[in-house]
Amino acid sequence: MDNLKTKHFTFQLKDLEISVELIEELARIDDSMPEYSRFLKEEIDSTLSLSQIEGGYTILPAQLDQNTIHIGDHCFNVGKSIANKFTNSTHIAIFTCTTGPLISDRLKELNSQGLILEAYLIDLLGSVMVEKAMDKLQAIIEAECTSKGVNITNRYSPGYMNWDVKEQKDLFAFLPENFCGIKLNESCLMTPVKSVSGFIGIGEKVRFIKHACQSCNSTNCLYRNSKNHC
Amino acid sequence: MEKLFEQLAYCIEFGKINKQSPYPPNMKDQEGAGELTGQLLDQGVSADDILQKALIVGMERVGVKFRENKVFVPQVLMSAKAMDAAMIQLKPHFANNPGSQKGTFIIGTVEGDLHDIGKNLVSMMVEGNGYEVIDLGTNVKAEVFIEAAEKNPKAVIGLSALLTTTMNNMEKITIAIKKHNKNTTVCVGGAPVNQEFCERIGADNYSPDPQGTVEFLNRTVA
Repeated sequence: MDNLKTKHFTFQLKDLEISVELIEELARIDDSMPEYSRFLKEEIDSTLSLSQIEGGYTILPAQLDQNTIHIGDHCFNVGKSIANKFTNSTHIAIFTCTTGPLISDRLKELNSQGLILEAYLIDLLGSVMVEKAMDKLQAIIEAECTSKGVNITNRYSPGYMNWDVKEQKDLFAFLPENFCGIKLNESCLMTPVKSVSGFIGIGEKVRFIKHACQSCNSTNCLYRNSKNHC
Repeated sequence: MEKLFEQLAYCIEFGKINKQSPYPPNMKDQEGAGELTGQLLDQGVSADDILQKALIVGMERVGVKFRENKVFVPQVLMSAKAMDAAMIQLKPHFANNPGSQKGTFIIGTVEGDLHDIGKNLVSMMVEGNGYEVIDLGTNVKAEVFIEAAEKNPKAVIGLSALLTTTMNNMEKITIAIKKHNKNTTVCVGGAPVNQEFCERIGADNYSPDPQGTVEFLNRTVA
């Protein structure tokens, strides 16, 4: 679908405002642990500063029913819980975002050196990077919508709640091939690994509902596992 | 001697690698796993006794605390580092006496999946509990697991997956392994996996945490 109107953005790691303290908190590194803040700062300021962080989206008309979202010829079975959150959406922003391949390369390097704890922290940093970049992209989408007098919902991804991750294939059908350098394998795993995709609902009467851990069934989410999760 | 075993188990439990290591702060400037293992070897204690009476004891305590959410991944990784400092000295002794380890565990993340943190944690805990671990990495096809099992006939195979889509591959790989040799034991684990899925695909064990895999191996292999 190369004729689709997509918008594409790049982000700098320094602009994502990721603090070392946040990574340490998510990793549950307390004061008794060895000093890793210097390592993380060096990685953020130098080693990973050239990460090719990019994201983009396309906005398309959509119809909703109880459990599904219809876009063009495709029917996304997102489940009742997510469909409810898109109530009153007339359009959907189909988005994707990635940290680029540098994180994966660095992970391989650290693991091969036996630096397992450092590799774990970089993996976590990658997860935070893609979420922070996604916050920026969501803000861009929101600004575009606000300027047109419409509102947005929160963002939701295949794999979340009852939305089958397999539908990621249909989602990527709405984006140009190799968009943002992201590829899907047969298992719907995105590469670069630290990538996300999903939907944001758009409409005059949509509501933005904050994420709440108690309404989510994910057991391996980095935010749920952090000390101060919601 | 018993006191030295307990000191070494404590170093593993709390991730004290060596004297230079500043972690944990309450053990600053004290000898760590590296030095204590050296002392025990110097006193003529067998590598097997050091493994059984100290290292496994410490690693088991970490595994239980991790299951109970009393420690988290970084603390387990510090324990694994301490374990490594001890095992570097023990491995030459095991090489001369390969029967001294409890058994062999072949582990890998299934085809189509590149996630490895869960696999690595299980791998460390199993190795730390006295098993030889053959880590096949990520994105591993059925034939690679089967080939490794052929080379290590008594080995148990561990399959890891993080995605619901790669659970399908976990099923295909389990069936292929069992078709090749129905006596090969297969353990499964990963965020989307549960006991019901384990039973449905014909695997032998599901564990929600690394220590569960260790306990299964101790019951069935050791």
